[in-house]
Amino acid sequence: MVTEFNGLLTATVFLPAAGAVLLLLLPGTRDGKPNRAVRGAAVAVAVADLVLALLVFALFDRGEDAARFQFVDQFAWIPDVGLKASYLLAVDGLSAPLVALTGLLGLCAVLASWHIGLRVKEYFFWLLLLQSAVMGVFTSLDLLLFFLFWELELLPMYMLISIWGSGRKEYSAMKFLIFTILGSAFMLVAIVAVFLTPDVGTFNLIELSGAGAALTAAAALIPLAWLFWLFFAAFAVKLPTWPLHTWLPDAHTDAPTAASVMLAGVLLKMGGYGLLRVNVGLFPNQAEQFAWVLVVLGVVSVLYGAVVTMRQTDLKRLIAYSSVSHMGLVLLGIGSVGVGGGGLTVTGLSGAAMQLFTHGTITGLLFLAVGLVYEKAHTRYIPDLGGLAGRMPFVAAAMLIAGLASLGLPGLSGFVSELLVFLGAFRAYGWPTALAVVGIVLAAGYILWMMERAFFGPRPSTGSGERFTDLTDATLVEAAPLALMVVCIIGVGVYPALLTDVFDSALEPMIKAINGG
Amino acid sequence: MQWAWLIPVFSFAVAPVIVLAGGRLTALSRVPGGAVLSIAAIGAGFAFFWIALLGWMDASAGTESCYVAAGTEALTCNYERTWFNAGLPGLDGSVALTWGFFVDPLTIAMLGLVTFVALMVQIYSLGYMHGDPRINWYFAVHALFAASMLTIILADSFLLLYVAWELVGVCSYLLIGFWHERPAAREAAKKAFIVTRIGDVGLLVGILLLWREVGTFSMTDAFAAVQAGTMGEGVTIAAALLLFLGAMGKSAQIPFHVWLPDAMEGPTPVSALIHAATMVVAGVFLVARAFPLFEAYNATPLLVVAIVGLVTALVTSTIALVATDIKRILAYSTVSHLGLMMLSLGAFGYTAAIFHLLAHGFAKALLFLGAGSVIHSTEEQEISRLGGLRKVMPLTTLVFAIGAMSLGGIPILAGFWSKDEILQAVSQGRNPAFIVFALITALLSALYMGRALFATFFGKLPQELEHTHESPPVMTVPLALLAILAVGFGFISFNWPGAFGGFGYFVFFHEGHGFEFTWWIGILSGVMAVGAFVFTWMVYERGSISLESARRRFAPLLRVVENKYYFDEIYQWTIDRVVLVFAGFVAFFDRAIVNDIGINGPADTVRRLGVALRLHVTGHLYSYALAMTLGVVALGIFWWLITA
Repeated sequence: MVTEFNGLLTATVFLPAAGAVLLLLLPGTRDGKPNRAVRGAAVAVAVADLVLALLVFALFDRGEDAARFQFVDQFAWIPDVGLKASYLLAVDGLSAPLVALTGLLGLCAVLASWHIGLRVKEYFFWLLLLQSAVMGVFTSLDLLLFFLFWELELLPMYMLISIWGSGRKEYSAMKFLIFTILGSAFMLVAIVAVFLTPDVGTFNLIELSGAGAALTAAAALIPLAWLFWLFFAAFAVKLPTWPLHTWLPDAHTDAPTAASVMLAGVLLKMGGYGLLRVNVGLFPNQAEQFAWVLVVLGVVSVLYGAVVTMRQTDLKRLIAYSSVSHMGLVLLGIGSVGVGGGGLTVTGLSGAAMQLFTHGTITGLLFLAVGLVYEKAHTRYIPDLGGLAGRMPFVAAAMLIAGLASLGLPGLSGFVSELLVFLGAFRAYGWPTALAVVGIVLAAGYILWMMERAFFGPRPSTGSGERFTDLTDATLVEAAPLALMVVCIIGVGVYPALLTDVFDSALEPMIKAINGG
Repeated sequence: MQWAWLIPVFSFAVAPVIVLAGGRLTALSRVPGGAVLSIAAIGAGFAFFWIALLGWMDASAGTESCYVAAGTEALTCNYERTWFNAGLPGLDGSVALTWGFFVDPLTIAMLGLVTFVALMVQIYSLGYMHGDPRINWYFAVHALFAASMLTIILADSFLLLYVAWELVGVCSYLLIGFWHERPAAREAAKKAFIVTRIGDVGLLVGILLLWREVGTFSMTDAFAAVQAGTMGEGVTIAAALLLFLGAMGKSAQIPFHVWLPDAMEGPTPVSALIHAATMVVAGVFLVARAFPLFEAYNATPLLVVAIVGLVTALVTSTIALVATDIKRILAYSTVSHLGLMMLSLGAFGYTAAIFHLLAHGFAKALLFLGAGSVIHSTEEQEISRLGGLRKVMPLTTLVFAIGAMSLGGIPILAGFWSKDEILQAVSQGRNPAFIVFALITALLSALYMGRALFATFFGKLPQELEHTHESPPVMTVPLALLAILAVGFGFISFNWPGAFGGFGYFVFFHEGHGFEFTWWIGILSGVMAVGAFVFTWMVYERGSISLESARRRFAPLLRVVENKYYFDEIYQWTIDRVVLVFAGFVAFFDRAIVNDIGINGPADTVRRLGVALRLHVTGHLYSYALAMTLGVVALGIFWWLITA
C-alpha cells in the first residue's frame, strides 16, 4: 500500500544500481581492446545521479517548516509477516547535504577511475552499486531498510579493495569487512530490541524519534542505555573512533583511488550520520548522560590520530590517520550535548554535521590528488618524492588548498566545522576542548611537512640525473574532479550558511528534545 | 567614513582575479597585469584611508554610529555590516551574525601605515621582481595579504580578527616560500607557519573563552563585560594571557622569535612589508586593541607583557650585533623593536607603543627596501663581502643611512622621538631595572644599526662590486618617500596648536596627553646614539679601532651569541628527540599493541582455535568408530554413576 510517493529519492538511490546493471549488458571489449563506452556510460550515470542529488538539495524546502521530512517515498513492505517494515525514503536537513555529498564524490570517484584497465565492467558495476548503497543509507528512515543498505555497502567495497587494490589488499579488504560486520551485529541486536519493545513495534525512525518519543515512554525490553551503546558500537567502528580505527589505514592504503575517495568521503560519514540520527535522535537523554564518554573518545582520537600521522611516510596512510584525527572532532561536537541544564545550543551538533560534509570534500580532494601523484610518479613514499610542484602545479595547488583546509585555515570549509565544534564543546567541556585545539598545531605540522617534502624543494636525483622530469600535470579529465572539490571547499568556507541553515533545521528538534528532557 | 570597510575589499576583490586571469592581463600590457590590479587596489585603499581620517576628524560623539568608547575614551565609530549570515546560528540566537568594523584612532593610525607601506612595497616590487615567471602569483598573494592585514585592523569582533589573523599567516607562508624550489625557503615557510600556529592555539582558546563568557565575539561587548565587572578576575586574566600568546607568536616574542629571522628567505620586499612593518606588528596591535582586558584587575597581564617584551628586546638586540647577513641583522632588529613596543604597552605606554610602531614601520620598511636594493644590484647579503657601496649606489646609501640613523635614535629623526617616548613611559610605569635594560637595548640598537650602515656602504669597495649600478627609479622613488617619513614623522608628536594637538591627543588610552620630554633620558639616549654611530664609523670606515682583542677576550660569550643562544638547536633537539620519538612510540603502539595484539590477536586466536578444532575431523572411518565407541562407553559409565 503506497502511502506517499514522490519518486525523486527512489530515483536518486536506485539510478546508480540500475546503471550498474545496464553496464553489464555492454560488450566488455571491442576489437580486442577494453570497451571505452563502459567508462563513458559510468560517467553519464554518475553525472545523472549528481544532478538528482543536487536537485534533492536545491529543492529542499528551507522555509518555515524545514524541520519536516521531505520527498517522502513510503509504502508498506513485507506487510504479511507482522514485521511492519516499510519502504520509507525521505530526507531532512541532516541527510539532504549528505546526499549531495555522495553525488559529488560519486562522480569524482568515477572520473578518478578513468585509467582503470582491469575488468572494467565489473569495476564500474561495483563502484556504482556502492553509490546506491550509500545513498540508501542516508535516505532510508526505516531501521530495517537502513540496515539492509548499511550491509549492502560492504560487498562492493570489499570487491573494490581486494581486486583492484594494491599491497596486502586481501588482508585489508577482509579486515574492513569483519570490522564493519562485527559492528553491524550489535546494531542488528539493537534494531530487533527496539522493534520488540512493547508498544513500539515499528522500524519507522520518524515515529521513533521526535515529538512522540515512543521509545522513551515505552517499557524497555532492554535498558535504553544498552541500546544506545549497541548502536554506538556500529557507528563508532565506521567513523572510526580510537581504538577501533585500525582497519582504516590498511583499507585506505591498499584501496584504489576511487575506493579511497568513497571510503573517506562518504563511508566514514555514515558513522557520524548514524550517531546523529540514531544515538542523538532516538536517545536524547542517554546522549546527554554519556556525552563525556564521547568527548573523551573524541579528544583521544583527535590527538592520538594527529600524533600517529606525524610519523607516516606513505601519502595515503598519512591522510588516513589524519582522518582518524578529524573524525574525532565529530565525536567532540556531538559531545557538546553534555552541557546540561537545558542550555544546549545547536552550535556543537552543527559543527559535527558540518565536519561530515567538509571532511568529505577535503579528504576526497586529498585522495584524488594523491591518486594522481601515485599514477604518475609511481610512488607514494614521501622521502622518495620532492619538487612535484614544478612539474604538476595544478595538482600541487589542489593539494595545498585541501591541506590548508584540513589544518583549518579560515576561508576554507574545514575551519567552519572546526570552529563550530570547538565553540559548542568548549561550553560543555572547557579543558578537554582546549586540549583538542592543540590538534590544529599538529595538523599544521604534518600537512606542511608533507607538502614541503613531496611538492616543494628540488626534485630528487638518482644516479642518472633528476627524477620526475617527465611528469605531466593533470589532464582535463583528471583535473575536473579536483576543481569540483576545490569549488566546494572554498564555497562552503566563504559562505557556510549554504549548509548550516539546512543542517540546523534538522538538528533543532534534537536540541529541543535534549533541553526539554 | 562608513565606507572604510571598502579598504580591504578592494584588495580582496582583485586577488582571485589575478589568480584566474593574471596571465591573460599580462598579455595586454607592458607591466604584469597582476601588479597593475594589486597596486590599483591598495592605492584605492590608501585614498580611502584619507577619507576615513578626514571623516573621523569631522565626526563627534553626536555623529551617527559614533560614540566615546568606554575604556579608551577615544571617539570611536562602529559600523555594523550584515556582511552575510555567517552560518553560525546559535551564537546570537536567530540573529544573523554581523561583521562590524571600528574606525577609531588606533585603526586609522594602522590603516595609514599599512596602506602606505604596502603601496610603496608593491611599486618597489615591480622593479625588484621584474622578470620573475610567477610574478602574477606574487602580486595575488600580496593583494590577499593587504586585504587580510587591513581586516585585522578594522575588525570589531574577535572572530573576524582571528580569520584575518590566520589569512595573513598563510600569505606569509606562501611568500616566504615563494621561491619554493630552494630548500631553505620551504623550510623557513613551514617553520614560520607552525611556530606562529602554536601561539594561535592560545588565541583561539582565548576567543572560545571570551565567547563562552560574553556570548558574542564582539570586542565592544567583551570590554563592556570587563568594565561592568560581569567577567570575573580569573577569566579576564586568563583571556588576556591567552590572547597574548597569540600576539607573541605573531610578533615573534621570545620564545617564539625563531621563525622571523628565517623568514628572510622570502623576497626582500616581502620581508619589508610583512616581516618588518605590518604583519609582525599585529601582535602589538592585538594587545593594544584588547588593552581593556589587559589593564583590568590591577593589570596583572601587563607585567607579563612588559617582562616578555624586555627580555625579547635585550636578547635579540645582542644577536643583531653579531649577525653577518644584512637581512638577518634587520630581522633581529625588528624582533628587538617589537619587544620594545611590547615593553611600552606593558609599562602603560599605550601612545608610545603605537607611535613607535608607526615610526619603526616606516624606517624598517625603508631599511629592508634599501637592503633589497643592495641585494638586487650585488646579489650579495653577507656584510663581510660588502662595503664601500656609497661610491656606486649613492641614493641607496643616503636612504639607508636615514633609516639606520632614525631607528638608531639619532636626535630629531623620527626614531629618536618614538624611542624616547617609550623610555619615558618605562621609567614612569615600571621599576628602575626596566629602564636600565631598556637603555642598554637602545644603545645596542644604535650600535648594530651603525654597524650595518658602515660595514655595507662605507669602507673599501670589493673589486668584484665595482660595476654595481644604482637601482631603477621604480625602486628608488618609494625609498625616497619612505625616507621623508623616517625623518619627519616624529614631528607629529609635538604639541601643535589648533585642532591637532599632537599624537598624544590622537591615539591614547583613558585620556590624551601632551608631548613630554624628560631631559636626562633624551640627552642620555641622544648621546648614546651619536656615540654608537661614531664608534662604528671608526671601526668600519676609518679602521682606527680594532675589535680583534675584544673578540678574543669574549670569545666564549661571543660564540653563544653568534649561535643565537642555541634556541634553534634546543628546538630542533626537542622536535627530533622528544616530539618525533614520542610520535614514533605512539605509532608503534598503534601498530604493535592496538592493531597486532588488540585487534589481530583475537582474530588469530579464533583462527588457531579453528585450526586446532578441525583436527578431529580426520575423514578416517576408524577414528570416527573409535570416538563413537569411547562415547558410548562414557555415556554408559555416566548412566551407571547417576543411577547407582
